Amino acid sequence: MNGSRNATSVLRHHREPLLLLSPGVAVLVLAFFLPVMQMLVLSVQVDDGAGGIAFGWRHFAKFFVDDYYLGVSARTFRLAALITFICFLLGFPLAWVMARVPARWRMFLILLVVLPLMTSVVIRTFGWLVVLGSGGLLSDFLELLGITDRTTKLMHTESGIVIAMVQVLLPFMTLTILGVLQRIGAELEQAARTMGAGFWRAIATVTLPLSLPGIVSGCLIVFALSISSFITPTLVGGVRLPVLAGSIYSSVTGSFDWHFAAAQSVLLLVATLAVILPYAMLMRRRDAKAAR
Amino acid sequence: MVRGIPFAAKLAAAFLVTGIAIFMLVPLAVVVLSSFSASEFLVFPPRGLSLRWYGEIVASDAYLAAGWTSVKLALVVTVLAIAIGTPTAIALYRFRLPGSEALGALFLSPLVLPTLIFGLGLLILFSNWGAGPSFAGLVIGHLVISLPYVIRTVGAVLAEADPALEEAARTMGANVWQRYRYVVLPQCAAGMAAGGFFAFNISFDDAVVALFMRAPDVETLPLRIYSQLEFSPDPSVAAVSTIMILLTIILVFIIDRLFGLKRIA
Repeated sequence: MNGSRNATSVLRHHREPLLLLSPGVAVLVLAFFLPVMQMLVLSVQVDDGAGGIAFGWRHFAKFFVDDYYLGVSARTFRLAALITFICFLLGFPLAWVMARVPARWRMFLILLVVLPLMTSVVIRTFGWLVVLGSGGLLSDFLELLGITDRTTKLMHTESGIVIAMVQVLLPFMTLTILGVLQRIGAELEQAARTMGAGFWRAIATVTLPLSLPGIVSGCLIVFALSISSFITPTLVGGVRLPVLAGSIYSSVTGSFDWHFAAAQSVLLLVATLAVILPYAMLMRRRDAKAAR
Repeated sequence: MVRGIPFAAKLAAAFLVTGIAIFMLVPLAVVVLSSFSASEFLVFPPRGLSLRWYGEIVASDAYLAAGWTSVKLALVVTVLAIAIGTPTAIALYRFRLPGSEALGALFLSPLVLPTLIFGLGLLILFSNWGAGPSFAGLVIGHLVISLPYVIRTVGAVLAEADPALEEAARTMGANVWQRYRYVVLPQCAAGMAAGGFFAFNISFDDAVVALFMRAPDVETLPLRIYSQLEFSPDPSVAAVSTIMILLTIILVFIIDRLFGLKRIA
């Protein structure tokens, strides 16, 4: 078999789709993969002491020996886990209601979730700054209920970050679980109830296990988005409660240590991929099932 | 016989949905309401009603310049995203290319890479090879993060359209131009439009890429709002945000009409 002739014939055979693809591929390679590669290179580039360039792990080492950065990572992951859990607690029942109500109501609920989702994160965070601020709506409300007293603050606290982040990320959880719930339908749940299972038991033993792939996907995507989010935790948490994304940004604009910013980004990227790859595999399996 | 849902569960569901509805809408409602404040400071509930802050932003050069930059940027990004995303989607969904599934996944990968990391990469790239952050840099950054949406929406409408129509046009002697002009592009139209509105929305709302591509003479509206929030926001920020929320509502309704909100899920 002649390899080059083969390649030529493939090229001729697929000329039309290749032409169609070329602008997109150019953008993807030059404007997406190239910048990411540059960042990867920057993270391992070190000064060799003689003005030249060498490669090494110094920037990563700086991260792992410093309690400050380990603390920042711990906070980032702890908050993400809490945000994910609360999103699941709210998102599953909401998605269940969305899947079971008449179409007109479902439309209203989808709008309820999509409208905030499509609003700029900066604006949603701004709203939370007003709500969480001292003398704000929420602290007055909690005080009225007797849950907190006058001195309780939500701004610049981890609780404040969690509250705002759950509102930002709940749409992703809800829509992911809704997709699965609509696919499995209500019939099995009803069958279980016809055969004598109580309502809560039918939910716990039929609906919940069947929607597990959606729940897992939802949790993975919310966790991934949570560990990398920047605007909300930075503005609500303030400078005293930095998360990984905030730390990366201050390395860029504050200390101008781009190498260190790149190293932190690589760590964030690795964490994100560790969560996103299983998510992508789950979604693929779901799509393959749907196609069958 | 199927038994109904117990009253307790219905009650719990009603409470939960109402609670979540308030939770989801409160930050937006608070912004809208404080924009009509008559007072000097940003307080909630607003003291007195007036439109003075809308007057302030119309008279503010900084806001007008940022608004103009944002609109210009979003329009350029929309046109480019449609022009590049549509042929990509046609190639991926209409042709049997070897490895097209993997290629499709690569094209969607900007969706899963944290925007912050992409923004930093772009800044490094433009500092190494270009003249640093610029309007063109913003266009390229927003193009990359909005392209997956156009590819997805066009791909979705193509998956439902009949491929036999194109075959029919081909056998009846249509040339390439006629085939695309009269068959393929009309089939893509709804997806192109919906994807375009997504692209506009993403570009108009983004603050993260804009933060890294920040240049002295290039400031977008979300970036302007972000900088205000870092210091002390006055009700004019709420007025600008309200206008942006209004625009989002309009975009959401247009996308729903063209594409169906249900399919975003």
